[in-house]
Amino acid sequence: MSDAARSARRPRAFILDDGNGARAPDVEIEAQDDAYKREALASDLPPNEVAVEQAQKRGIAARALLSWGGMFWSALGGLVTLALGLWFDALIEGLYARAPALGWVGLALLAVAALALLVLATREALAVFRQKRIAAMHAAIAAARAKDDRDAARALMQQLIGLYERRPETARARAQVLDLTREIVDGRDLIDIAERGLMHPLDERVQREIAGAAKRVSVVTAISPRAILDVLFVMAQTARLIRRISEIYGGRPGFLGFLRLVKSVGAHLAITGGMAVGDSLVQQIVGHGIAARLSARLGEGVLNGLLTARVGISAMSVCRPMPFSVEKPPGVSDVAPFLLSRGKSDA
Amino acid sequence: MPLFSDLALEASIAARSLADYVTGKGLRLGVTGLSRAGKTVFITALVHNLTRIGSLTVADSRRQMPVFRVWADGRLTRAALDAQPDDAVPRFAYEDHLAALTAGEDRHWPQSTRRISELRITLEFESKAGWRGGPSTLPIDIVDYPGEWLLDLPLLGKSYAQWSRETLEASSSAARAMLAKDWRGFLTTISAEEPADENKARKAAEIFTAYLRACREDRYSLSTLPPGRFLMPGDMEGSPALTFAPLPVAEGADLPAGSLGAMMERRYEAYRTHVVRPFFRDHFARLDRQIVLVDALAALNSGPAAVRDLETALTDILTAFRAGSSSLLSTIFRPRIDRILFAATKADHLHHTSHDRLEAILQHLTGRAIARAQGVGATVDVIALAAVRATREASVRQGRDMLDAIAGIPMAGETIGGETFDGRTEAAIFPGELPADPQSVFRGDALATPAGEAEWRFARFRPPVAMIAADGRPAPLPHIRLDRALEFLLGDKLA
Repeated sequence: MSDAARSARRPRAFILDDGNGARAPDVEIEAQDDAYKREALASDLPPNEVAVEQAQKRGIAARALLSWGGMFWSALGGLVTLALGLWFDALIEGLYARAPALGWVGLALLAVAALALLVLATREALAVFRQKRIAAMHAAIAAARAKDDRDAARALMQQLIGLYERRPETARARAQVLDLTREIVDGRDLIDIAERGLMHPLDERVQREIAGAAKRVSVVTAISPRAILDVLFVMAQTARLIRRISEIYGGRPGFLGFLRLVKSVGAHLAITGGMAVGDSLVQQIVGHGIAARLSARLGEGVLNGLLTARVGISAMSVCRPMPFSVEKPPGVSDVAPFLLSRGKSDA
Repeated sequence: MPLFSDLALEASIAARSLADYVTGKGLRLGVTGLSRAGKTVFITALVHNLTRIGSLTVADSRRQMPVFRVWADGRLTRAALDAQPDDAVPRFAYEDHLAALTAGEDRHWPQSTRRISELRITLEFESKAGWRGGPSTLPIDIVDYPGEWLLDLPLLGKSYAQWSRETLEASSSAARAMLAKDWRGFLTTISAEEPADENKARKAAEIFTAYLRACREDRYSLSTLPPGRFLMPGDMEGSPALTFAPLPVAEGADLPAGSLGAMMERRYEAYRTHVVRPFFRDHFARLDRQIVLVDALAALNSGPAAVRDLETALTDILTAFRAGSSSLLSTIFRPRIDRILFAATKADHLHHTSHDRLEAILQHLTGRAIARAQGVGATVDVIALAAVRATREASVRQGRDMLDAIAGIPMAGETIGGETFDGRTEAAIFPGELPADPQSVFRGDALATPAGEAEWRFARFRPPVAMIAADGRPAPLPHIRLDRALEFLLGDKLA
């Protein structure tokens, strides 16, 4: 710094007059906005993040133990287990009465079944916990990003890397983020870099999945001979799509986990239903209108495809281990442009 | 003997905390800070903001503390001052301090604290934490005390000889040698082995106290100056426990009975036993949360030697506290501080664009204390804070220069860039820029840097004029990040 530049940055005082201008003639003074209000507002979570967290709480991150529904199913399950126990007991006794060898075979089969059941149950529980952990990570990352908390961000990025450790294709992005966690990077920047590097390829895969499902659904709806067939097909496709998205983002939903996931996706659709107006609902209706004028079946196909895409997008927000911040959350027009542009090109 | 007295101290702390637990205690918030760090203002502003929540409309109250969740959610219904738990301690004179801050034309910062005082504030709020939700209360106990006394805590673990050696070493450093000249000159005329003489002891204590006082002057702003009661005797003025001073004594050497050294040592021990230990046991051994207020700006005004001195003082003091993640057992017998907030106070004296740098400097200042607290599992955060905000921000254009300045009324006698203020004129002040590298403020031996050479100079401002609320009483004063501080310290208890 030269001497002149240094003296320009020396401490100085400017006396103000009553009108809050400076007394010295060559000095202009301008009031500034209150930076602290802006800073405080920035630490609030954006509304779509709030929606995602609410949806997660209703499904994948819900506490099942304390609800009446949960209690009902647990009690009912206990009764059914007791009944089964009685029945097995009678069966094995019957087999022994007929021939001891048969009894042994029956007992062995029962033991194998019990073992398999145990393994299945453990897997289910692990899957549910895994989903819960991902949802918790999502909320924590959102909070750390809002607060620009470097220490929390570092710890969370380690967790995130751990989630994708078995994915060879993420190796480079993981190594990059891991390096950054050891350097002096602001919490917010660290999270943003991880989102760009680590999440972006996964987001693209998910979008391809959604596009594929939407395409299949609309084509099958348009050509299927019976209504019941396409209803079944749409349901199967939607279930498969939700499961695939969860798997891509690192969840492994079993049966129970899948039910919870569906609850969350439903909740997210319900909460964001109102918000979607600005997104592309108008386009959706316009697209549907033009296609429907050409052919009723084609119109239904497009509509079903659009709905599948919406479900896919909701599943994407709910399963993603971190909130959308630098990456833009995709709309229907991003994942399934063909459904909309076809309407336009036809017109 | 020390082992036995340490055990006794531990036992009495455990017994008291057990008694607290049984009788239902409040959250003990430790407001820690050296003198003039802003403890009294922080407590006053905190109480004022919380107790006046009823006087604000819902929209206004959101604006006042947006980051303090329980407040911003609208779940905090009422906060009131309550009867404090310890009857033997005076009550914090909240009303007087508030009156001083909001006295219209005569408004001024509260006088420096001369004695210990305590306060309990009870928050009533709706909890939303799962099945424990619903109306709840949280009593918070806060203690205010002269910051000078805090300097005594490191003495808990030091013998007379060790303390003497450290004090003598410090006084020979380049920065202090000038200030300590008289005292060191007097030391050459006495020796530890000569017979005890009350007059000599008093003389030594007087000259030593004068040296400590000189170090503390605004110009120098040195911080490591134990024992604290020498600077702020409180009700112990003239007591024999305060008539001692360091002497050059070899560690481990036996002083002959009846010698000056032996008398000094006995008085030092008495000071530790009857002054420091009860102070620590009664007010610091049982904290749950802690905020460490640091007036880094005064030290920065003075120079690198003062900054390093502040670092030493803080590091020594914070060793005395017990940090760590808390568990049920520790809550009952040995409370631990599980959240510590380091706050650089008077953040309104510089523009918000410099706050990151101020925080970096504070992080560096308290680096060792932070590392130790995190090592044992406590949560730590560092912020730039102003419990009462006395300035607003403005940009100043002079010729081709664009400067980010702060505007307010500087206190009478403050000088910046050749301009001396009378305490009435408003001014926009550009205080200079803090360095990007926090380590550079620790390098060098300068002390009491003259105004002409300093690259930054932080003037003190008068308190802001309080707005009058609809009920005719002053509305909460503006602040900087007081809400963030409260959220960090209390947020989890108010979920």
